[in-house]
Amino acid sequence: MGVSALAPRIFLKKRMEDLSQLDELYHLISLDVVDSTNEEAARLAREGAPAGTLVWAKSQLGGKGRRGREWISPGGNLYMSLILRPNILLTQAPQLSFVAAVAVFNALCFTLPQTAKIHMKWPNDILVEGKKIAGILLESSAQGDMLEWLVVGIGVNVASSPGKVSFPSTSLHESGATHASVEGVLKHFTDSFKRVMEEWSGEGFAPVRKRWLEFAWCLGEKIEVKTEQELLQGRFADLDESGALVLETGKGEKRVLTAADVIMGFPT
Amino acid sequence: MAKFKFDDDLVRSLAKLLEETGLTEIEFEAEGQRVRVARGGGVTTEATAQPQAAPAKPEAATETGETGEIDAEHLPGAVTSPMVGTAYTAPEPGAPPFVSVGDTVREGQTVLIVEAMKTMNPIPAPHGGKVMRILVENGDPVEFGEALMAIE
Repeated sequence: MGVSALAPRIFLKKRMEDLSQLDELYHLISLDVVDSTNEEAARLAREGAPAGTLVWAKSQLGGKGRRGREWISPGGNLYMSLILRPNILLTQAPQLSFVAAVAVFNALCFTLPQTAKIHMKWPNDILVEGKKIAGILLESSAQGDMLEWLVVGIGVNVASSPGKVSFPSTSLHESGATHASVEGVLKHFTDSFKRVMEEWSGEGFAPVRKRWLEFAWCLGEKIEVKTEQELLQGRFADLDESGALVLETGKGEKRVLTAADVIMGFPT
Repeated sequence: MAKFKFDDDLVRSLAKLLEETGLTEIEFEAEGQRVRVARGGGVTTEATAQPQAAPAKPEAATETGETGEIDAEHLPGAVTSPMVGTAYTAPEPGAPPFVSVGDTVREGQTVLIVEAMKTMNPIPAPHGGKVMRILVENGDPVEFGEALMAIE
């Protein structure tokens, strides 16, 4: 390899030093490879790991998506899972799905060129130019009606994307952020997450919901949605106060969905 | 299953009452028939006097068992939903269910998942015992406090 191959290494070293400056809220656990950062974080949470424990792996052997789908996890992309232990009712936990989405969205806004069109697809995927660049999956454990812990799992395509899987995909490098590093995105995420979490703790869900709606993909437009039981088409009317998707399916009939994949959108 | 007469007016009256009172569910029983109107859960009308054969597949939450009792408060060993969401009886589409009627489960074993906004909430068995009834279908929307399963 020529001299050009050295440049990314120097870049990587610099970014690694940045990670030692993560906010004291976080306890970083860095792994070369793991089955799934969510699985590892859940194991640690069950063993009593503190809030702020952040499991980061260079690659995953069994990365997880929603409903058993695989999250393809080669080296070069970001895979991390954060343990949270807020003192809240379990019914409030889904709000953190949007806190995480907004934090990842902010981190990617820092990283991508200003001209990039970045959106959030319900509930918490991040899209660039209509292609998925990041996904989030959360897992909770309850103690009675209270949340005991929550694992927020995040995957960001930095160097590569899986191409056409269930939804068109892209990566930071493919979207114009050619120098973006895994470590840089991780640092931006942790900074942003702290801020959004503080806002949510102080002011509740409203400002997070507002920010989400501002950058929602296909809000007011026709979308196609796949639930476990049916395929629906309709107008994405709103995000309700709990974060559920409000879909108008014709003749004024509204469906309020708590779990589904938005598989197509028809932005005007 | 005994035959019943569908009373359109009664259902409309109950639905109107539901709207006016802000309740999530109203159940009305008379002359061996029961009508339940619930938000998001639709309407069911059923005979309550007739004993039924054991179900061959998981029943919907509104069907009656041999005793005719269906709601969480009166269902012995009811496992209820801790949140509004979508219930899954299997870890992924096409996979075997977490548990089936007749299975013996141990305390803490995951018997269902309730998802809300990509937050997966595994539902643990509150105690060990035998699964007597599964009251939801895979992918059903569920309300807070709704009975999902009965474990003896």
